[in-house]
Amino acid sequence: MKRDKKITKLAKKLVELSLDNGVVTEAKVAEVLSGLKQVQHRQHLTVLKTYLAYLRREIALQTAVVSTPSSLSDATLKEIEANFTKIYGRTISAVTQQDTSLIAGVRVRVGDDVYDASVAGRLQRLAENVH
Amino acid sequence: MKAIFITLLLALSLPLALVAAEDLHSAAQVAHGEAVAHADAPAEQNKLTMITEKFGVELPTLFAQMINFCLVAFVLYKFAVKPIAETLDDRQQKIADGLQYAEEMKIQLAAAERERAEKVKEATIEAQRILTESREQSKQMIEQKTQEAAAQAEAIIRKASEATELERQKMLSDVRQEVARLVVLTSSKVLSRDLSDSEKQTFSDSAAKELAQAV
Repeated sequence: MKRDKKITKLAKKLVELSLDNGVVTEAKVAEVLSGLKQVQHRQHLTVLKTYLAYLRREIALQTAVVSTPSSLSDATLKEIEANFTKIYGRTISAVTQQDTSLIAGVRVRVGDDVYDASVAGRLQRLAENVH
Repeated sequence: MKAIFITLLLALSLPLALVAAEDLHSAAQVAHGEAVAHADAPAEQNKLTMITEKFGVELPTLFAQMINFCLVAFVLYKFAVKPIAETLDDRQQKIADGLQYAEEMKIQLAAAERERAEKVKEATIEAQRILTESREQSKQMIEQKTQEAAAQAEAIIRKASEATELERQKMLSDVRQEVARLVVLTSSKVLSRDLSDSEKQTFSDSAAKELAQAV
């Protein structure tokens, strides 16, 4: 479905309003939602859906999903957050996710970027290089 | 024509001359008898009268004969000589025309013969030229078709070789992929089974530090 340009522009503006020092916060999102509730836009549902999509994209860009078959220490997670914050130039928060298919190692996904340091990933790259 | 006319006049005048000669002979006999009888006649007689009497010429008879001769000559000329002369002239003209026509025909025949000979010669040259061109064209066509066939055969062989090479490369790639997949699968199973939890944890921490320090 093609989104209306005005609604897209409004949703992007709402996402910008949802940021607090470049980070999406729950409080800001609540303020934006209360404001939307008061305004009662003519295409209210469409605006909300578009806002949700852009908000998820923004959260994904600010979140580093760390996949590992075992648990990682908080210090390690903090180091990862600091490193990726430095790389992307924005605040990145790390979220752990257990994935036994990796065998061992870590895989980090930030938005559409994937950093793979797992055994499964290395084996996969090895197989791809054999081609 | 004039000769014929003169001949006719002579032929017609011959009987008249014979009659006149006969009359002259009888008159001479008469004159000889009278001369013998009258030897002593006077000399003063007119000489012309003597001559006419001596030769038996009588003027009325002479005039009548002249008139008769002119009438006969006119009638003959009008009704016999002139039509015959016209007929002869026509025939002569026809003969001359025929001869001229025959001569023209002969000239035309000779010209036609020459033209025919030239046409035959030209046709022979043209036929020879066409034959030569046809031979050259057929030769060129044969060479062209031969070259095309050779090129097509070469292209077919090249395509077949390329297809074979591609098929071989694809088969090798498939084999490599399958082998790699099996190796990866086996390695994954082996590593999952053989690596202890502590080893996995150590590897994970090491990898996490690696990612944490990679800039």
